[in-house]
Amino acid sequence: MAADRTRRAVLAATAASLPLLAVSGCKGVGALATPPRPAPDVAVLRSAIAAEEIMIARYDAVIARSASLAGRLRPLRAEHRLHLAQLRSRLIVPPASAAAASPARAPATRGPSSSPGPSSSPGPSSRGPGDVPAGTAAAISFLQAAESAAATTLLRQLAAVSPSLAQLMASVAASEATHASALAAGGAGRP
Amino acid sequence: MTGTTALAAAAAEVSALQAALRAEHAAVYGYGVVGAHLTGTALAAATSDWIAHQVARDSLEAMLRSAGQQPAAAAVAYRLPHPVHGPAAAMSLAVTLENRVAAAYLAVVALPSRRFRELGARAVTAAAIRAASWRGKTVAFPGFPAGALPPAKL
Repeated sequence: MAADRTRRAVLAATAASLPLLAVSGCKGVGALATPPRPAPDVAVLRSAIAAEEIMIARYDAVIARSASLAGRLRPLRAEHRLHLAQLRSRLIVPPASAAAASPARAPATRGPSSSPGPSSSPGPSSRGPGDVPAGTAAAISFLQAAESAAATTLLRQLAAVSPSLAQLMASVAASEATHASALAAGGAGRP
Repeated sequence: MTGTTALAAAAAEVSALQAALRAEHAAVYGYGVVGAHLTGTALAAATSDWIAHQVARDSLEAMLRSAGQQPAAAAVAYRLPHPVHGPAAAMSLAVTLENRVAAAYLAVVALPSRRFRELGARAVTAAAIRAASWRGKTVAFPGFPAGALPPAKL
């Protein structure tokens, strides 16, 4: 048992020393006056995350307004939530910029106040849920156009990112393209 | 880029394009079976998808030839993933074929060159749209095997 105690002591000592290493590591980074520029993946991920948040808020707005569409739109919104979760899980924020990124914030509030934050890119694909038009048909074509625009935006950024993120973005874009088709067809199925 | 890494990149490109070509060969064969069990508008859809895969196959073959490569040949026959005796099984086979094609093109998306990333992504989207249409519903991550991306905590 003496050997075991020794091993435990070593483990305890190692565990105790880890925070010290981490702290000195942080000091090392902080000592460089300017924080490193975010890698292309980080910038692209942030805008993709913001785009998914807006898309979910738009579905929220339409589903809240017209119960008749809820059955059709909920599965699509559920897929956007999966997209968002995957994209967020890829975002590794350096400690220095953690406060600025706040990736954990969920679009809990509806309406124009749920702005995507400073990282979103301008353009039609980043308009908020407050823009969802009234009327069932108009809302569906709005969502359809938004899905297509979101897919196009992802595809445009493929070349700038790592192979693994490019695959995720291509898959998410493909999913959004199928959403656009399903919304256009009034359902996803063929006869 | 040094000569060695350029060669390695070219080898990765050839390997990914050949894999996509093999998936297209299988899809061309498979849609022949799919169409044999369908009628009416479903048969028309199967025929249109069959042609789309022939066009994609021809385009990959041309790309490989222009790179000085011998394109992978089609097999004489392919083992079906399940018996196909009616329309429901035929549509399910179409979904499987499209899933495999999408997965093969997702590997093309991982290549470094912008050209192949875009080509791969367009093909993943096309396969995903055809698959969703046969399946009657959409999925969150076309091209990834089911369960490859477990739901992350929000």
